[in-house]
Amino acid sequence: MADIALPDTPALVQERPDRTRVLSRLRLTNASFRTLTLAAAILVLVILGGVIVALIEGSLPALRQFGFSFVVTESWNPVTEKFGALAPIYGTLVTSAIAMLIAVPFGLLIAVFLTELCPMWLRRPVGIAIELLAGIPSIIYGIWGLFVFAPFLQHTLQPFLIDLFGPIPVLSTLFAGPPYGIGILTAGLILAIMVLPFITSISRDVFEAVPPVLKEAAYGLGCTTWEVVRHVVIPFARVGVTGGVMLGLGRALGETMAVTFVIGNAHRISGSLLAPGTTISASIANEFTEALGDLYTSSLVALGLILFVITFIVLAIARYMLMRIERRIG
Amino acid sequence: MTSMDVSVGNGGTGANGNGVHGNGPHSVPTPIAGNRVLEGDLDEKVAVRGVNFYYGDNKALKDITVPLYDRRVTAFIGPSGCGKSTLLRILNRIYDLYPNQRAEGEVLLDGDNILSPSQDINLLRARIGMVFQKPTPFPMSIYENIAFGIRLYERLSKSDLDGRVETALRRAALWNEVKDKMHANGLSLSGGQQQRLCIARTVAVRPDVILLDEPCSALDPISTAKIEELIDELKTEYTIAIVTHNMQQAARVSDFTAFMYLGEMVEFDTTSKMFTSPVDKRTQDYITGRFG
Repeated sequence: MADIALPDTPALVQERPDRTRVLSRLRLTNASFRTLTLAAAILVLVILGGVIVALIEGSLPALRQFGFSFVVTESWNPVTEKFGALAPIYGTLVTSAIAMLIAVPFGLLIAVFLTELCPMWLRRPVGIAIELLAGIPSIIYGIWGLFVFAPFLQHTLQPFLIDLFGPIPVLSTLFAGPPYGIGILTAGLILAIMVLPFITSISRDVFEAVPPVLKEAAYGLGCTTWEVVRHVVIPFARVGVTGGVMLGLGRALGETMAVTFVIGNAHRISGSLLAPGTTISASIANEFTEALGDLYTSSLVALGLILFVITFIVLAIARYMLMRIERRIG
Repeated sequence: MTSMDVSVGNGGTGANGNGVHGNGPHSVPTPIAGNRVLEGDLDEKVAVRGVNFYYGDNKALKDITVPLYDRRVTAFIGPSGCGKSTLLRILNRIYDLYPNQRAEGEVLLDGDNILSPSQDINLLRARIGMVFQKPTPFPMSIYENIAFGIRLYERLSKSDLDGRVETALRRAALWNEVKDKMHANGLSLSGGQQQRLCIARTVAVRPDVILLDEPCSALDPISTAKIEELIDELKTEYTIAIVTHNMQQAARVSDFTAFMYLGEMVEFDTTSKMFTSPVDKRTQDYITGRFG
């Protein structure tokens, strides 16, 4: 350092070379940091692209053979090698719809209770219980569903529904047939239990993020808890809640193990929710090991591709809805 | 600890016509001839009597007694942490939202003890409106921000509701700025406008008393001036309590001033007396800027 210091150079300038070195080191760190984050981000895109390419490539034989009729045909016959995806698509959509129909209102109610009404001492136990519910492996839901939940439904809820809706024209077909225990409805209920913790814990987190002063202002106008939740908390948290709901829906659409146990795995579309059916992921899991022949395998991969597309569409719709809400609110 | 811990005192019968001459430990201003503040009837709208307040085990207010006179502005001043805001939060029982906060003593609104467990809290909060330090527009349109509070208590036709919204916005001196964008989000307004929107929202419910908790501390001088004008305007109809850190503001807008220090009510008098010849040494030190 000293050798570059000229006699008349002030002390400040003497330190300069040192500082540039520090600076260049910092710049290097910064650049490598930036490259690292960029690489991580790109890796996601690469993996996603890889999955799409693999799915399309794998499903080409089936799509070439059946064309568009693959998605509108109900029959799934490995013997004659005639495959159609309509039954699993139907099963996937209906079970997920049942799950969301039940889990969204329940999840929101639990979240409201936990954030607004719950006494302090009860808050932690209930919160932890919900997180534990999310941590239970799906195989456990599966065996519990098959050995405990399905027989229970068979003896209680299903006969009740059949009796209740029997005389009502449209609903009687929806709840027709013998109570098997397993079937579309049971799968939907199991899925509801499985996605409930996601919706609850995300909703709770976003409700807790509502500024207390905003709630105080609403209470200060004389609002009841219901009014504060309805008009202030939920509108404020709607983006986060929608996110939680979509995450739950994504899980419901793709859930494999638990559904495979309780849905009955029948490739047919029945008007009744009590009848056995199948979903895309359940079909794949069930049949991949026994799929003989390229066309069979390829048809299962094509099912996977369809599930991918459905999930993509769901996410796109969610994004679009959020954008519209945002625009309307201003 | 729940709100049930609130001591009831002698319930709703404690008014005994004390009126102006409260029997608390603090001097009640003697009427001075020709003083604008004391012209007309001086009715005690709200009477705080011997109130103690606790945050858990921490006693934040010690035996506070102070009147709020009808259609007068009462300013609460004092250094941070002296309990001014806490006192305001007692008056509409917003503290009730938090389980470990409790108040003891009596707060009489038109003679009824509002700390009594039998008091309907929602009704109370409709009668005693509050505006907070930070503007708190709800996540909805400007129109809805005002209409929301009205709808809680009244079923009005669309045109009546429109009228009420307009009146409230006019009272808050905001109408001209927002009349062409009533359906824009309340959050799209500037800070000063948002605060006036909150005042309009409070006024729209037609309360008896308006509590202002440092309403100008987040605002620029022009917005502050507008809100001060507004306070002057509003006091022709409402009883107003304002907490402020700004001594000039207290002097400008209020008729009465209360000085609080470390959870105690040090001095209460007409604003002119408080700022010219305070009795207590601490008051004098505070308003002359020697501490706080």
